[in-house]
Amino acid sequence: MILMTDLGNLSEVELDVLKELGNIGAGHAATSLSKLLNKDVYLSVPEVKVGEIKNISSEFIGEIVAGVIIALQDLEEKKSGYLYIMFPEKSARKIAGDLFDMEELDEEMYASTIMEVGNILSSSFCDATADFMDIILLPSPPSFAEDVPAAVIDSVVSQMAKNSNHIILFETSLSSESDIEIYLALLPEACLLDDMMKIMGQL
Amino acid sequence: MSDDILFVSNGNGKAIFLTSRAVLVKSFCSLSKTCSFKDSCQSCEIVDAAKSYLMGKKSDLNVKSLDGELSAGIGEYKIGKNVLLKVMGLGSCIGVILSDVSTGICGIAHVLLPGASNSGEAKYAETAIENMFEDMIRMGARKNRITAKFAGGAQVFKHMSLDILKIGDRNAISVEETLVKRNIPILAKDVGGEVGRNVIFNPVDGSMIVKYTKGEVLWL
Repeated sequence: MILMTDLGNLSEVELDVLKELGNIGAGHAATSLSKLLNKDVYLSVPEVKVGEIKNISSEFIGEIVAGVIIALQDLEEKKSGYLYIMFPEKSARKIAGDLFDMEELDEEMYASTIMEVGNILSSSFCDATADFMDIILLPSPPSFAEDVPAAVIDSVVSQMAKNSNHIILFETSLSSESDIEIYLALLPEACLLDDMMKIMGQL
Repeated sequence: MSDDILFVSNGNGKAIFLTSRAVLVKSFCSLSKTCSFKDSCQSCEIVDAAKSYLMGKKSDLNVKSLDGELSAGIGEYKIGKNVLLKVMGLGSCIGVILSDVSTGICGIAHVLLPGASNSGEAKYAETAIENMFEDMIRMGARKNRITAKFAGGAQVFKHMSLDILKIGDRNAISVEETLVKRNIPILAKDVGGEVGRNVIFNPVDGSMIVKYTKGEVLWL
């Protein structure tokens, strides 16, 4: 059965389901980051925003961030959505520097380190959703860009905009005591929402 | 007088000033590359002219006030008369400007996808340009005076595993083809590259200001 959830008309309960998925995923991502950096990592209360695509630019911070985009697929190779992991530049440099115990990294090394961190975060995000909701999500290899989030996200939005004028944005931030901040956004496709609703309906 | 948007020009350069309560809060200046103050304007002939205008004094330079600003979100277009037009945070998207300088009627579209839409949605290049063109004529623009400028279509990803993210080039081609098909002269364009852009249009002199997210400013 395909439910094709209308993104513009999600109920409170459906938003809560979505929030829970994000919460579980981000929680696991936080644990991995904590292990990787050997530091405590805190997770903010997630926010779920359903909005029209035309307003999406105003949802993001205006500064340049290092960003990693990962496409998510289910087992039937259906597009399930995208994860966009944003590292404000100071945090990205700090993470890369800490991992290598070096002050300065060359740009190539820096980019691949951040991509790898994005990779680890997205894998643990996907593991968590598989464990708790039985939704298998396979992450694509990461794509890397450094720019304002609005300019990075528009190529992803263009893919989603073919089917819908609405977009769901799940946002949370991970932070650690040493002022590292990471923002995580999940942009689910309608089929992922449908799967989640079905599973929640069975509980 | 509140929140004026001013356009000031002299022989050397030109600048747009956004103001709040008669104070200059933001500027887009064609001289910013060579100016020692960069974006934090302090004092020069152009800034002084804007400041004296705000204090109600006459200035030697040409100071024009615009009637507000309009900003188009992703997949939208906005039209107006003598207003500053903006699209912010363009990556693979394109900012397309149509203007008729003789009447001051102009419009800006924030194009998200190449091609046309069956249901008239302005997120597609062809549909956005055609609808905006028709709306401008309805507002009083003269068909054969409308010209176009556009910018955007960057490829911001340095390392990419997803081909779908390469949509910038296709957007740029679609915009250009539509304008050519419609016989709308293209006066300027700045497409491609690896850096996001903000695009601003000043209807007073018909210039498109491209501000790269990493700082550089072009007046086209």
